[in-house]
Amino acid sequence: MVNSRRTILIAFVTLSLLAGCSGAKSNSETSSVAANRRNFTDGIGRTVAVTPNPQRMILLAPNVTEIFFALNLGDRIAGVTAYCDFPEAAKTKEKIGDTLNPNLERIISLKPDLVVVSTASQLENLTRKLDQLAIPVYVTNPRSVREVVASIRNLGEVTGAVDRAREIADEMERRIGAVEGRVKDLPRPRVLYVLQTGPLITAGRNTFINDLILLAGGRSISGDENFDYPQFSRETVVARAPEVIVAPSSHGTELVKESDLRRDFPTTPAIRSNRIVWVNPDLVDRPGPRIVEGLEKLAEGLHPQKP
Amino acid sequence: MIVLIALSGALAVCAVVALGLGSEHIAAGQLFSALISKLTGTVPPLSREQEVIVFSLRLPRIALAIGVGATLSIAGAAFQALLRNPLADPYVLGVSGGAALGSITAIIFASELSLRRPLFGFAGAAIATLIVYRLGKREDDPTHLVLAGVVMSTFFSSVIVLLTALADNVKLRNITLWLLGDLSSGTIEGLIFVLMAAVIGAVVLITQSRALNLMMIGERDAFAMGVETARVRWVVHLTASLLTGAAVAAGGAIGYVGLVTPHLVRLAAGSDNRLVIPASAITGALLVLLADTVARTVLAPRELPTGAITALVGAPIFIYLLIKSRTVP
Repeated sequence: MVNSRRTILIAFVTLSLLAGCSGAKSNSETSSVAANRRNFTDGIGRTVAVTPNPQRMILLAPNVTEIFFALNLGDRIAGVTAYCDFPEAAKTKEKIGDTLNPNLERIISLKPDLVVVSTASQLENLTRKLDQLAIPVYVTNPRSVREVVASIRNLGEVTGAVDRAREIADEMERRIGAVEGRVKDLPRPRVLYVLQTGPLITAGRNTFINDLILLAGGRSISGDENFDYPQFSRETVVARAPEVIVAPSSHGTELVKESDLRRDFPTTPAIRSNRIVWVNPDLVDRPGPRIVEGLEKLAEGLHPQKP
Repeated sequence: MIVLIALSGALAVCAVVALGLGSEHIAAGQLFSALISKLTGTVPPLSREQEVIVFSLRLPRIALAIGVGATLSIAGAAFQALLRNPLADPYVLGVSGGAALGSITAIIFASELSLRRPLFGFAGAAIATLIVYRLGKREDDPTHLVLAGVVMSTFFSSVIVLLTALADNVKLRNITLWLLGDLSSGTIEGLIFVLMAAVIGAVVLITQSRALNLMMIGERDAFAMGVETARVRWVVHLTASLLTGAAVAAGGAIGYVGLVTPHLVRLAAGSDNRLVIPASAITGALLVLLADTVARTVLAPRELPTGAITALVGAPIFIYLLIKSRTVP
C-alpha cells in the first residue's frame, strides 16, 4: 500500500516536472488542442467537447469504472471513487472521494482531460463547477438494460475505443437476446424484490431492477409504483402473494434478514416453496458490463433450468 | 375517572377501526366475526393471507403505536410538571437525543443483531439523563436542567450528523427514516419492552403525582409540607427518561407527541397530575395510533414515516395552544 502510494507520488513529481519543462510551449498547445476537440452529446443532452483519446480520465461511479476497464482503458484512468472496487486493478487507482461526495480539489489537481459522471450519483453541482473550469464532464444516464449497452457504445466513441466497445456491446446484446429467447414463452412469476427489510424497501417501475426482472421473465409486484424505491406495505406483499423473492446478498451488513421475510410473509408461495433468490447487488444495480451477468443469474433464479 | 373511561373507550374503538384499515381491504363484518372467533378460540372466517395481515402485521403495529404514544406522553407530562416548564419534553431534555444517538450507533456499527438497537437506544437515554441531571441540578431552579438538556440535545444531534455523514447510502436512508419515527420495523421484543415500560412507568409516576402537584406550587412549600423533593425529583426524572428511552428504542424518534399531549389534556381536564398522567397516556396512545394509521393508509401501498405525520399535526396544535394561552390571561 505504502509502496503504491510512493509510486503514484513519484509518477506525479515526474509528470509535473515534464509539464514544467514543456511550459513554454503549453499556451499555443492548449489552443490547438481545444481546436482539436470533438463535440459529443452526453446522456442528459449536454454538448461536451472532448480531446481525442483522452489520457487522464476521472470516473465518478463504480459502473463507469467497470465500463472503462472493460474497454481496456485502465492505463488512462487518473482517478476513481472509493466505491470503485471492480476489477481488482481499480482498487489501486487514485481515490477522489466517494460517489456522492467527490473531492473537487483532488479532481482539479489531477488535471483530468475528461470526467465521467453517472446521473445516479446526483452530482449536478459538481458538474456545473467543472463546466465553469472548462473541464469536460460527460454524464451517462442509462435507464434500462438496453440503454446500458448503448451507453457503452457511446463511451467507446468518446474515448476512441470504438472497436472494443462494439465488441462488448454486441456480446452483451447476444446474451440479453439469449435470455429473452429462453424465457419468452414461460409463465411470468410474481416477484418481490427486497432492497431491505427493517423498513421494507422495494423497487418501483423506473428502476434497473424492474427492467431486469421483466427481461428475466418475471413481473415485479411493486412494478406499478412510480416512486423508485418506496417503503412498501407488508400487507400488500401478503395480498399480492409473490412466487419468488429476490434479495441482494449481504455485503457484510445484513440489510435483508431472511428471518424477517419468513416471519412477515409465511403465506406467500415464495416462502412456502422456499424460493428466495440471492443476487450479488453489484451485478444488478451497477449499470455496467456485468449487468448481463446479473440478468442471467436472475433469469436462472426465476426460471431454473433442469439439469 | 369518567374522563379516563371515555378516553379508554375512544382508544378501543379507534384500535378496532384501525385494525380494519390498511392497504388491503378487509370487510368490517368479516373482521368483526374474526375478532370474536379469535376470542372464543374458533377458526376465524379469514383466508390465511387475511389472517396474517390482520393478526401478525396490523395488530402488533397498532399495539406498538399505542405503547409508544402512551410512553412518550407520560414522560412529557412528568417532565412538564417536574420542571414547571410548558416546553419541557424528552427532546428538550436531551433524553431523546441520547436514545437516538445510541440507536444510530447500533444501526451503523452493529446492525446484525436485532436486539442491539433497543439496548443501545435505552443505554443512550440513560447516559444522557445522568449527564443532564448532573449538569443541571440546582435546588430550586429547574431552568438549569432545561438549559443543560438543550445543550446536550444540540451536542447529540451534531454527533448524529457526523455519523450520518460517514454512513453509506442505504444506512443513511434507514437512519433518516428512523429519526422520523418508524413503526413498521418494530419487533415483538421491542413491543413487549415498550408496553411493560408504559405500565410500570405509569404506576411509578402516578404514585408520585400528588407530590408533583405540591411541587408545582413551589419546591420549598412542598418540602415544608413534608414532600421529599430531592427524592421525588430524582425518581420522576429517571422514570420519565427511561420511558423515553424505551419508546425511542422501540419506535424511533417520534416527535411532538410528548410535548403536545399533556397540554391538550390540561386544557380539557385541568392540571391535577393524578389525572393528567394517566389521561396523557391514553390521549398520546390515541394520537400516535391515528398518525400511524394515516401513515400506512394515505399513500398505500407506500408507507410514510409516522413521525412525519405527528410533526405535521403536532406543530399546528402547539401553535394553536400558544395563541390561545396568549389571548386568555
